[in-house]
Amino acid sequence: MSVLILDIVTTAAILFTVATGLMIILGVMKLINFAHGAFLTIGGYAAYITTLAGWSPWLAIPFAALVGLVLGLVVEIFIVRPLYSRPLDAILATWGLGIIIGQLITIAFGREVQFAEPPVSGAVEFLGLSYSTYRLLLVMVALIVGAGLTGLLYFTRFGLNARAVIMNEDLARGLGIDSTKVRLATFGLGAALASMAGALITPLISVDPNLGLPWLVNSFMLVLTSGVSIPGLLIVSLLLGGAQVVVSTYLSPIIGGLTIVVLAALILRIRPQGIGWGGS
Amino acid sequence: MSGETLTAPMAEALAAPRAQLHRVLRWGLFATALLVVAPFLLDTYTVNILIRALFLAALALTVDILWGYTGVLTFGQSAFFGVGAYACALVFTHYGFGPGWAVFALILGILAAMAVGLLVGWLAFYHGASPLYASIVTLALPIVLTQVVFAGGRYTGSSSGLSGFPTYYWDLEVWFWIAGAFLILVTCLAVLFVRSDMGRVLVAIRENEMRCAYLGIPVSRIKILLMVAMGAIGAAAGFGYAAFTNVVAPELTGFLLGTELLIWVALGGRGTIIGPVLGTIAIDVTSSYLSGSLPFVWKLIIGTAFVLVIVVLPQGLLPELGKALRRLLRRKPAPRPVPTLQVTASKPPGDEAEIPLVVEGVERHFGSLQVLQGIDFRVGRGELLSLVGPNGAGKTTLIRCLADGMEKSGGRVVIFGKDLGRWPPDRCVALGIGRKFQAASIYDTLTVAECLRLARYRLERFSLWQVTPVLQLPEAALRIVKETGLAERLDVEVRHLSHGQKQALDLAMVLALEPSIVLLDEPTAGLTKTERERIGGILTSLVERERLSVLLVEHDLNFVRQISSRVIVMHQGKIVLDGSVAEVVDSALVREIYAGSSHPVTEAGA
Repeated sequence: MSVLILDIVTTAAILFTVATGLMIILGVMKLINFAHGAFLTIGGYAAYITTLAGWSPWLAIPFAALVGLVLGLVVEIFIVRPLYSRPLDAILATWGLGIIIGQLITIAFGREVQFAEPPVSGAVEFLGLSYSTYRLLLVMVALIVGAGLTGLLYFTRFGLNARAVIMNEDLARGLGIDSTKVRLATFGLGAALASMAGALITPLISVDPNLGLPWLVNSFMLVLTSGVSIPGLLIVSLLLGGAQVVVSTYLSPIIGGLTIVVLAALILRIRPQGIGWGGS
Repeated sequence: MSGETLTAPMAEALAAPRAQLHRVLRWGLFATALLVVAPFLLDTYTVNILIRALFLAALALTVDILWGYTGVLTFGQSAFFGVGAYACALVFTHYGFGPGWAVFALILGILAAMAVGLLVGWLAFYHGASPLYASIVTLALPIVLTQVVFAGGRYTGSSSGLSGFPTYYWDLEVWFWIAGAFLILVTCLAVLFVRSDMGRVLVAIRENEMRCAYLGIPVSRIKILLMVAMGAIGAAAGFGYAAFTNVVAPELTGFLLGTELLIWVALGGRGTIIGPVLGTIAIDVTSSYLSGSLPFVWKLIIGTAFVLVIVVLPQGLLPELGKALRRLLRRKPAPRPVPTLQVTASKPPGDEAEIPLVVEGVERHFGSLQVLQGIDFRVGRGELLSLVGPNGAGKTTLIRCLADGMEKSGGRVVIFGKDLGRWPPDRCVALGIGRKFQAASIYDTLTVAECLRLARYRLERFSLWQVTPVLQLPEAALRIVKETGLAERLDVEVRHLSHGQKQALDLAMVLALEPSIVLLDEPTAGLTKTERERIGGILTSLVERERLSVLLVEHDLNFVRQISSRVIVMHQGKIVLDGSVAEVVDSALVREIYAGSSHPVTEAGA
């Protein structure tokens, strides 16, 4: 039972960390970034490169974030910016971008499965159980990411501008906020978060050019169900991630893999705005 | 009309659908001729991969009709393909093989796909659903189906799929002809369909779904039926694919094939028929050729081209090529057919004995903000009631509550004795409500005639394969069309009209609904004095001659004075005065509200 609870909490933490990059972009830019999966993959390969280079595995996290940030900024300027007024087309263009990134990675590293060194390994005694240290560490990371983003949105100049853009972009522009810059920074941040998450999950899974794809769909569903808010995302990660763990454990892992998608689609049918907890 | 001999334009209009049919038939025959000789000119390998591409092209067409024409971004069309393919494989593997079994498997696949389409449509399309939600459901669909196949164990072959089941090992040419004939049939039907009356409805839904609902078009039902029909075609294509290749795998139902279809359609040209067909064939065949030598680079090129097309050329490559070719040949695009106008007797709905509109205690709040409270009034036959009041008084909100049952937070709206309840706008139209929006919200890419016809959806049969050569309009609508010069511009796309003509067209569309109660939100805003007087004349004659009830939101008190039979004054979400023109317009209260005094309501007791 305790193992189940730990599984639920750690799974939720992983889902939360993976989905935040997508959410921040959707929240501020009203844009669904279907290249999110590709940014996760980039993070995974950043971790792999760190291992290849023989650097400390801890370095994989900032390195992945940096690569994601730079790429995100470039992508925003050339691909995302012309599509502000065509949200459905933006989904497609970012999906196409994901294909490009996936193919470039395949050409550079091949299709083989690779492994990245984890920063910590083994198990610790926790609540009288022996549990994976790394998964517990990811819970800490999720909390730090959540707190960090909240702090960024509510206690910084950037956050103030971003919230103004979220509420009313035209008015924000009228007040002299450079919404183009806010969007650029947001996309960079979202891409950096996604890459970082990619590096964080690679010790749990192997690295391959399609690493991000299954996570993309789940993140997308979670973010929409959350009502695009940080506390909302925490809650749905726990609820739907928990449901996934329970179904996988007691019913079948195959059906477990569907839990988030199906539950999210049904929840959104009843409440199109998501669970809407904690405002926007 | 019936007694007259046919005028020249009328005869021309009547001949147009036949000419259209002949054109499609000529192209179909040309394609068939190509199909017959192609296998003798091409090598075996090419014929082999072409057969698969032909089936996939038919599937891509269904994506195009849903996404390119109707605006439903679907990731899940592969699921229907997979259902058809697995119906074939499962029946042939586990139950039996032969002509009877083949027909059974085909029908089974189509019915199953239609059932899935119905479920998806019911989930995705309801009044007020965001376009994104449909994409979410169509994204979930192939993922779920793929997992179902995985969970099927030995029955479905799980991740390795089913292969080697008995099938018809006909010569390659025969399969090529079957696949080609299927594609040509689907393509010809698709061309006729998208250019028909109904095809224009699809475009209208893509351009402005909400406005369609207010024209009495049951948008959700149309989308659901379209999903079912496209599912059936997709399943038939999947069946053929499986029967030919003799292999089915979970990838056929998968999300990745679903996105590939979008890429083919986007590159070929969404919202055209031939573009996606040629796009699919070209890309799929090239992929097969390059899969050995340059698999990753080819996919990289396709991905790059896709992003470029979406960002820079959203209409796709083929339409651009076509435009360039036409410019080179100095040929103009084929003109859109122009119907002849005919007057029809208007019989607005509503029981003579009942009061047209009764509003009882209607409320509207947004969270804690009360926008309307305790609104009570009635409108009788032949009344022209003006709603006046300062900005923010709740006039437009009230109009909205009358035309869409979902809008109000409380109270009752009764039309000819029938409670509006929570009915969506298209059902309100059937009760006799016609609403004109403040800004002329019409369909930029449709012609004047096409827009007018849309308003007739509830009243006429819409053809699925041709443009009906006659456009019937009630007298009032026809009068506007003629007096404002729209009658001479029936084939002009709406975006080329002047502001005044757009407003006139919008009003003509509302009147073409043959409403009993007309709701007009500032119909004269931004019009010249002549245009305004013309509209005033039309409104008063509607009320006097046809005994319609008209509810008008208006700021121009002079205009109100000229045409109204009654005036209601609203302020801060309440009705503060309700009386004849003389009583209201000259009252001290109205002057005060408009002058902006802060406590007008306390004086209203007088």
